[in-house]
Amino acid sequence: MKNKIWVYAEQVESALDRVTLELLTKARDLAKALKGDTEIAAVLLGKNVKRLCETLADYGTDVIYVGESDALELYNPILYSRLITDLVKQEDPDILLFGATAIGSELGPTVAAQLKTGVAAHCVDIRINEKGLMVASVPSFGGKILGEILCPDNRPQMASVKPGIFLQGEKEPKEPAIHWLDTTELQPEKLSLKAIRIERKALAGVPLDKADVVFCGGYGIGTKENWDKLETLASRVGGAAASTRPVVDEGWAPGEEVMVGTSGKSIRPKAYVGFGISGATHHVCGMKDSGLVISVNKDDKAPVFEVSDFNIVADATKVLDLLMEKIQ
Amino acid sequence: MQFFQFTEEQEMLRKAVREFAEAEIAPKAAEWDEKDYCPMELFPVMGELGITGIFVPEEYGGSGMGYVERAICLEEIARYSAGLAIALMTHHLGMAPILDHGTEEQKAKYLPDLCAGTKLCGLATTEPGGGSDYTGQKSTAELADGQWVLNGRKCFITNYQADVCVLTAVSGQDEKGRNQISVYIIEKGTCGFNMGRHEHKIGLRGSMTGDLILNDVHIPQENIIGKAGAGNKIGMAAIGEVGRAGMTAICVGILRGCVEEGVKFANERILYGKPIAKLQSIQFDIAGIRTDYEAAKLLLYSAAGKKDAKLPVTTDFAIAKYFSSEAAVRSAKKTMELMGGYGVINEYPVGRFLRDALASIPSGGTSHIQKLIIAGSTLSDFKA
Amino acid sequence: MALNIIVCIKPVPDPQYYDKVSIDPQTKRITREGIPTIINPVDKNGIEAALQLKKTYGGKVTVITMAPPNAVENLREALAMGADEAVLLSDRAFGGADTLATSYTLAKGIEKIGEFDVIFCGVESADGATAQVASQLGEWLGIPHLWNVFSLENLEEKTMRVKTKIENGSMEWEVNLPCLFGVARQLNKPRFISAMGIIKAKSKPLATWGKNDLIVEDARLGLTGSPTKAGEIYTPDLRRKGELLSGPLDEIVDTVIEKLRTAGITIRTASTSCSAGEGGA
Repeated sequence: MKNKIWVYAEQVESALDRVTLELLTKARDLAKALKGDTEIAAVLLGKNVKRLCETLADYGTDVIYVGESDALELYNPILYSRLITDLVKQEDPDILLFGATAIGSELGPTVAAQLKTGVAAHCVDIRINEKGLMVASVPSFGGKILGEILCPDNRPQMASVKPGIFLQGEKEPKEPAIHWLDTTELQPEKLSLKAIRIERKALAGVPLDKADVVFCGGYGIGTKENWDKLETLASRVGGAAASTRPVVDEGWAPGEEVMVGTSGKSIRPKAYVGFGISGATHHVCGMKDSGLVISVNKDDKAPVFEVSDFNIVADATKVLDLLMEKIQ
Repeated sequence: MQFFQFTEEQEMLRKAVREFAEAEIAPKAAEWDEKDYCPMELFPVMGELGITGIFVPEEYGGSGMGYVERAICLEEIARYSAGLAIALMTHHLGMAPILDHGTEEQKAKYLPDLCAGTKLCGLATTEPGGGSDYTGQKSTAELADGQWVLNGRKCFITNYQADVCVLTAVSGQDEKGRNQISVYIIEKGTCGFNMGRHEHKIGLRGSMTGDLILNDVHIPQENIIGKAGAGNKIGMAAIGEVGRAGMTAICVGILRGCVEEGVKFANERILYGKPIAKLQSIQFDIAGIRTDYEAAKLLLYSAAGKKDAKLPVTTDFAIAKYFSSEAAVRSAKKTMELMGGYGVINEYPVGRFLRDALASIPSGGTSHIQKLIIAGSTLSDFKA
Repeated sequence: MALNIIVCIKPVPDPQYYDKVSIDPQTKRITREGIPTIINPVDKNGIEAALQLKKTYGGKVTVITMAPPNAVENLREALAMGADEAVLLSDRAFGGADTLATSYTLAKGIEKIGEFDVIFCGVESADGATAQVASQLGEWLGIPHLWNVFSLENLEEKTMRVKTKIENGSMEWEVNLPCLFGVARQLNKPRFISAMGIIKAKSKPLATWGKNDLIVEDARLGLTGSPTKAGEIYTPDLRRKGELLSGPLDEIVDTVIEKLRTAGITIRTASTSCSAGEGGA
């Protein structure tokens, strides 16, 4: 009996979310740790999504289940979850992974409830133990505590993972078998929940999760002006500006999309420079995999200095002003 | 005798006011102090939370709680901004005579807006000729053609910008030729009633203090609170039990600030390789500050509890105010000293604590006056 | 049209203190001594949403939680905010529940409460942060549900328009009542508790229900009803070398630029902007 590891291939507006490729990479690692043969499959639902099969094939899928239909153009938890649940009941995978995006964070547990199985949420690591069971590491208390979660009896063993936690690996092209799901009975207009429209903003500048260098502002930057300096400096060096939650709450930073932390984004730039950040665990968990970490804080006792490579005890404004002067 | 404990509702109230203070007051207190800005925009907010009318019965728009609850509100607010706390306590101070001695018409006319925080109240008794010398005040009120006509000047009046001012004046002499004082309600904008100079205080900044000038101010006859000549009793009761209580609560708030800031600093500041909290001399300072805070707290809530039980509390509050204000000065200075150089840097609140404590001494009766009151009752009560 | 609104809340240790949470090396359990328990912050956005709906349309707000007995305190706070009734689901049998068992128990409690139009939950709890109970509760109750709601547009007849947040944008939905929303912080600003609210809370109904008060399948409760099982716990070691850069600030900043360059970041400074004729690889 083959092991089956499935990945929900999230797509929005016919573009694959990067987390799908990260999960497929992880699936490959897990497959190596399992005894016997493993089949890796992706589940892809949407409209005009056929062409995404190519990318999924490049990342090592053996099977792709595709639900292609106009009715699936806009994500709908009722439609999507039913298709996935029915498919899972039919094919009985061992492991099912979702990206913990806004959609995945809802779809994963919904499917799990329909299947009466367990899902380890927002995990930061997944491995296979000596019994062949999936073990997920899940943070709690803002990341201060990591706990291992298993789903020993119920199937599939499910987990959700935020984008940027796992690395997207090299391509490993295969020629997957493609199974088309029956989408003839879908009637979105008759549902008690209807998606009306989707609105996306085009992002200006380098996306936070792709930036090689991130300048991050914490509460200690004190003013919107200092935030603007961070953005300017970031754009001068081809990087991105990020912040902690208080900076968003104060209205200095534009919104949650630049927030780094357990309830925000996880980043792993080549270099991270933090200004006025105290170093609370829930933020540090979001940037701990950065290459070089430099922190500026005027409080010499700030906890952030224990999790940085280089420490500068100084006023963030002064350092920002000097950087503005020197960097062109 | 039962040991002192707050009820579940009082604990909930404390928690609720603390959350409000931490969110809306703590972040801005230093700025208000620096700019001497009175955050009047918070009064309607406090009105919605039931703080501005805390001891007023529900029928007049109040919360129907008592003086213990009022003290809790003032302590929690003063912990972060004693300046805003004194503006609030003075608002209560002006409302008390209306509530306790006013007619139903007066209560119905003024209390609802004051409870809602949409109008500000104040009490004006102090004059250039003396505050401690209450009966020596010189402002006059004459009844003429169904109106009271007031003339004179008040100074050092906190909330002098109030919409509703409760003011004392000499309305006549008694058979022995002694001044008879009456209490009046004057609305802001009344012709001849003007704000005078603004005082820049060293502490309790964030409340507005200044002069009030009365130049032939005509007010309706029914704007007198109680009977003519009852002003001694009414005014002194207000100051003695509501004013002093308020100042005590403010000093308890300042003291708690000293304990918390002192402990924080002592645990974080590393000298000689360890936190200074390990040093005995610092421990002694912390013990002193803590003891001052606990003692002041007990004196405050015990007196407030007695007032809610309708027992006489003039001496209790004199003792509480005298002790807590002197203790606040002493402990704020101690906290500043244990913080070394940091104590005199304006980014830390403790300098403001000391200035606020110093400014609390002459508010609601100086320590000299409190001591006279305490001595007076002690010498008669403890006679063998 | 009077609405029956239910709000699910969870008492959690105050998130302000999470960096103080640790694991006792002997018992291997999480120590959270001295950390006060508060209503999960984003659940208050749910309470606020319920109170605003009640203000507009009339009706009743019931707050429910599955928690240990001292959650009564937190329920009283919710009542003081303005909720009308409170229910505490508390029983040894509920202990050790993962999100599936928790949402099951809440569903049974809600079924006992009776008819409802809207249920509000917070998107995630500050402590566990699994962010799953809202969606799973919706499934157990068989009602449409949405997670990450940040805007409630309007209510017409028995349909509501809402918006959920997604990466770099939002989705707009039309939902039939009864329904469930997992609400985000951006939805509203929760009101402070007022003195009047505290007085009224004293006399509002607060019921405690155990397993025997509900119609439940024992196998779905607590640890037994939890497909996920907990294994080892540990605190991650995030430490780095923390070398202090000292000296004049100007020089420190030059060092920063140098280190960024070594890390592979291209930085143009005055000294590297070449004039014609200067070399540079």
